[in-house]
Amino acid sequence: MSSYKGSREAFAAAMMQLAEEDPRYVTISPDSMKAMRMVGFAEKYPEKFFEVGIAEQNAVGCAAGMAACGLVPFVATYSGFITMRACEQVRTFVAYPQLNVKLVGANGGIFGGEREGVTHQFFEDLGILRSIPEMTIVVPSDASQVFAATLAIAKHPGPAFMRVASGREAVIFDEEIPVFELGKARKLVTYGNDVTLMTCGFILSRVLKAAEVLKAEGINATVLEVHTLKPLDSEGFAAVLKATGAVVTVEDHNVIGGLGSAVAEVIAEQAPASLVRIGLQDVFPESGAAEALLDAYKMGVDDIVQAAKLAMAKRDKSK
Amino acid sequence: MSCELSNLIDKARLLRRDVVETVYRAKDGHPSPALSCADIVAALFFQVMKLDPQNPKWEERDRFILSKGHACPVVYAALARRGYFSLDELPGLRSLGSCLQGHPCMRKTAGIDMTSGSLGNGISVGVGMALAAKYLKKDYNTYVIMGDGELQEGIVWEAAMAAVKHNLDNLIVFVDNNGLQSGGKVSDVSGLMPIYEKWQAFQWHCQEIDGHNMGEILAAIEKAQQTKGKPSLILAHTVKGKGVPYMETDNSWHKRVPTDAEYKEAMEILGGMDCE
Repeated sequence: MSSYKGSREAFAAAMMQLAEEDPRYVTISPDSMKAMRMVGFAEKYPEKFFEVGIAEQNAVGCAAGMAACGLVPFVATYSGFITMRACEQVRTFVAYPQLNVKLVGANGGIFGGEREGVTHQFFEDLGILRSIPEMTIVVPSDASQVFAATLAIAKHPGPAFMRVASGREAVIFDEEIPVFELGKARKLVTYGNDVTLMTCGFILSRVLKAAEVLKAEGINATVLEVHTLKPLDSEGFAAVLKATGAVVTVEDHNVIGGLGSAVAEVIAEQAPASLVRIGLQDVFPESGAAEALLDAYKMGVDDIVQAAKLAMAKRDKSK
Repeated sequence: MSCELSNLIDKARLLRRDVVETVYRAKDGHPSPALSCADIVAALFFQVMKLDPQNPKWEERDRFILSKGHACPVVYAALARRGYFSLDELPGLRSLGSCLQGHPCMRKTAGIDMTSGSLGNGISVGVGMALAAKYLKKDYNTYVIMGDGELQEGIVWEAAMAAVKHNLDNLIVFVDNNGLQSGGKVSDVSGLMPIYEKWQAFQWHCQEIDGHNMGEILAAIEKAQQTKGKPSLILAHTVKGKGVPYMETDNSWHKRVPTDAEYKEAMEILGGMDCE
């Protein structure tokens, strides 16, 4: 079991470890100390915690300046305020000069933003960042993975973004083995080659359930977790796509721009397969309880199961 | 006039020549915004800043950000004349394969400390550099040149607040107050005025100078360096196109290439084509 209350707490714990390890790791807060669970960090390391007020553009600009002077600053706040409000600072002053700035976005997807509503649900973040050169993008799937991913992006030179959630995310991985190999897709379930379920982020728990439901119905799936959206491990998963020929992508993100789009690009260019994309279907959602929201917007376990059958039917029809 | 002062004034003249020559030869670029800050650039690059052109990434160096990045021909000229790269590179401005991008790029040009050109952002990045200096216990200063038009960007004031909160007395920001922006007079385009009082209200240490008077520029920088506990703003009144009379009265020189005759005229005024 995970000892973290949620993925933001896991991120804060990783920052504590990094601060102990190396003086270059600092954090910049656009009044996100409480939201990102950094109160303990700010108390223990006040000299490494830079509050700049509710001003995300300046937070990212400051991070670029710090990184240009050899520091490794983390800017952590709600994902949309980084990727939309400060998008240009991320693109022109972090990514273009390849500066060693780490961006951590909470409330990615509708699960994270849940009751706050659309202003705080960010389902475009990955698509926006994916179109910016030089960005490394990771989407961990539970708290212990966030801990491991924080360390991984910290030690990886260059601009990086990581999504975290709001505390309602399920525990999936055993905390003792927080393996997180940046840039590598990994197989979590290998029941067979009937269909491939590809996913990233906290919705992984639903995908694993869907794989069990499918198995009970005699459909043997492979589950592939693509926690690094960029650089995309297309070499690594092209073989799986070819083996099954039927793919469902599952993400808590608009189906435009994120994992579904990325996989569609690989399918189109490298590994022909039928594809069904589960995710937010290019609509603005609404407030609601986290799990109920995912169900309401067609990201439920049953939706994944039905999508798998549809992908297989499409594949078989085209044979 | 001291020898030092007249030397700097002459350096500013040379930079102006280089700007006109660069834009003329490259057949592209922004001449008049570069000319308005030529004296400040000369003061910083030839006297004030601790730099080592042989070691552009020297950690103890003073940092410089040209927030009004479109004025880069004057900074490129200063870098070339300080020996970061050859003067022969200048006509390559904006052309494929050149180390001189249309707007400054820290990865391509030796001596450029920060990528810039998207307006309003330089001061924010400068706050980060000044914060880093404090954190790393280094005594370098960070100098930023902003245009007056870009003060209309919201991030400028976000950064202004952060700089005061963190007592960044190692941050010295110039506003090249030439009064004009792409679309016309700064005072007509937005409700920015009054500029000086705004910075005072943001609790910065403020000075107002003639941005073409080398003595005033140096004195203001010295006073800013001596100011403790606060970031410094130097509002420099300037003339867009300063030094080339036909540019001083015509805002179309914001981005325009001189004809052969215009080039010749400018070179004669700025010291002749055979100078140096």
